[in-house]
Amino acid sequence: MRYMLLIHHDENDLGDPDRLNEIYAGWAAFNAALAKAAGAAPGERMEPASKATTVRVRDGRTGIVDGPYSDTKEQLGGYFFIEAESLEKAVEWAELCPASKYGAVEIRPIVPPGRDY
Amino acid sequence: MRYLLMLYADENAGAAIPPQDMAKAMDTMYAYQEALTKAGAFVSTSALAPTTQARTLRMEGGEVRQTGAGFVNEGGALKVQDGPYAEAREQFGGFFIIEAEDMDAAVKWAARCPAAQWGPVEIRPIVNTLSVSEAPWCADGGFAAKE
Repeated sequence: MRYMLLIHHDENDLGDPDRLNEIYAGWAAFNAALAKAAGAAPGERMEPASKATTVRVRDGRTGIVDGPYSDTKEQLGGYFFIEAESLEKAVEWAELCPASKYGAVEIRPIVPPGRDY
Repeated sequence: MRYLLMLYADENAGAAIPPQDMAKAMDTMYAYQEALTKAGAFVSTSALAPTTQARTLRMEGGEVRQTGAGFVNEGGALKVQDGPYAEAREQFGGFFIIEAEDMDAAVKWAARCPAAQWGPVEIRPIVNTLSVSEAPWCADGGFAAKE
């Protein structure tokens, strides 16, 4: 089963700006583990939520709003994919993710291709 | 530049749609994917299982401390909760990752997405890993290694 793991953290409070390298090192180790795991893919990082745009089309008219769909205390900061035999195994990956210490990690099972939504 | 198009929809409303109507809606999604592919803009897409199957992990209690090894929370306990990170009227139900020149071009693609007719489509620029290659996210130069 494939899972998308969403990283939520407070993008305005990511620790001491002078010590970011230490945070990056933790992510580097985590990404290296993902790169080695079968079916997993190293994560992608998002630009800040302030750079998001939300689009809706109603009656042929496009509405464009700056910002993400919902304002939350923490923002979607990135995501990664894993292949896991069970939700419990997916939880183990989420525990390994550095964001589990200071933010939240959301696990979403992916619908297998070809199956209806 | 890569963009994540996050498709939101009301899951309960979606579950109430008759199968034949849903099949038609999915056909429009496949056609959209084909249009992206023809334009060289398609990277990937997936549908997500409903948020009832989501889990969210976060530390509860304790205090977050920054150490040489990153953030630690020794007093807290990791809690696994059922459900998505945030409850909202519409739920994140699928995505397209596209290649577009800039946000304006990404907005045009989002407006063409059938899902924009029934829910919001949130566009998030993905960090260009090449532009952050000086940051030691990982050995090969980015939080995201190039595929």
